[in-house]
Amino acid sequence: MRNWFGPLIAGTILATVTAWTAIVVIPYGLMNVAMERLGQGGVNRMSHGNLATPARQPVVRPSPDLAYSSCPYDLSDGPLAIDVTPVDGRYSSLSIFDGATDVIFVRNDIEAEGKPYRVILARNGQPVPPGAEVVRTNHDKGIALIRLLLQDPSEIGKLDAVRRQSSCAPVTNPN
Amino acid sequence: MKSWHRYAIALAGGLALGLGAAWWLTGGGLQGGQIVNGPWTTSLGYGTKATGAITRAAVARAGLLALPAKETVYWSSKTDAAGAPLDGNCRYSLSGKLLDARWWSVTIYDAAGYLVANDANIWSVNGANVATDDQGVWRVTIAPTRPIEGAWLPGIKDQSFHLTLRMYNPGPAFRADPEKASLPAIVKEGC
Repeated sequence: MRNWFGPLIAGTILATVTAWTAIVVIPYGLMNVAMERLGQGGVNRMSHGNLATPARQPVVRPSPDLAYSSCPYDLSDGPLAIDVTPVDGRYSSLSIFDGATDVIFVRNDIEAEGKPYRVILARNGQPVPPGAEVVRTNHDKGIALIRLLLQDPSEIGKLDAVRRQSSCAPVTNPN
Repeated sequence: MKSWHRYAIALAGGLALGLGAAWWLTGGGLQGGQIVNGPWTTSLGYGTKATGAITRAAVARAGLLALPAKETVYWSSKTDAAGAPLDGNCRYSLSGKLLDARWWSVTIYDAAGYLVANDANIWSVNGANVATDDQGVWRVTIAPTRPIEGAWLPGIKDQSFHLTLRMYNPGPAFRADPEKASLPAIVKEGC
């Protein structure tokens, strides 16, 4: 049994390191999967998804009451401009998630006073347009998500044109 | 047995144990929240930088892209008022008063957290489409077949199910004491 002392210590250390590494890595892996599933319209572009149904569930626990618009982003070539147009009288929000799945920015329609707004998402140190509202992150990748709440799924027809006014695009001339 | 054999066995076991432990520790999902109210559980730490690595991974697995509590509180239930697992072949009464939030909804998912097809194409009820009685109480039947009267949320035949209650922009009174808030009751009426 004494022969097993060293191996068991080594196994225990490896188990601990593996568990902790996996726990830290899981969010990054899942964010990459989500970016792939939501990013079919391209990266640094806003895709206005159809409502969640059993046949269309890009993420776990999708809400069938929400119209999701998503912008999977990659800031490695520069900052991103996100333009949001709230829909009158409906809950909507922009939330920005970083590569570790943390929320780094949230604003809902009431906080926006129902008016359109623009935020610039940039990595720490990247130059940004003067006077812009800037959200800084220390990750290149992540997802910006707009939720629009519907009282009934049939409302999407009349609200679709308004939600399509929201967009995201690389900042072409940050200076 | 040679020494390196013992090391190989122990390290392979350690690797498997480590991966298994990571999966197990992060599998609690939204159910592993710190706040309990009847059959409902949540955590107000979701979607913030403040949560630890285990919570972050658990949320990423169970509710990726979840909003922070100021914006939305996500309650999860896997059981009825008596503590029994929710069974898609049974009939439940889901009822309560209007919730202290700008908007709320209750959605039915399978045990893995996905929507399941039903003929009615209904997966949720919300504050805008439930009717209240003169006591201010709304009532929805969760059952595999449509009830004779009243609102219906189709159950998932031959499967257990989970409910997620979303409260968008919960009110200050709710946020001050979410454990005491009045949440919908889930009562089994028969199978």
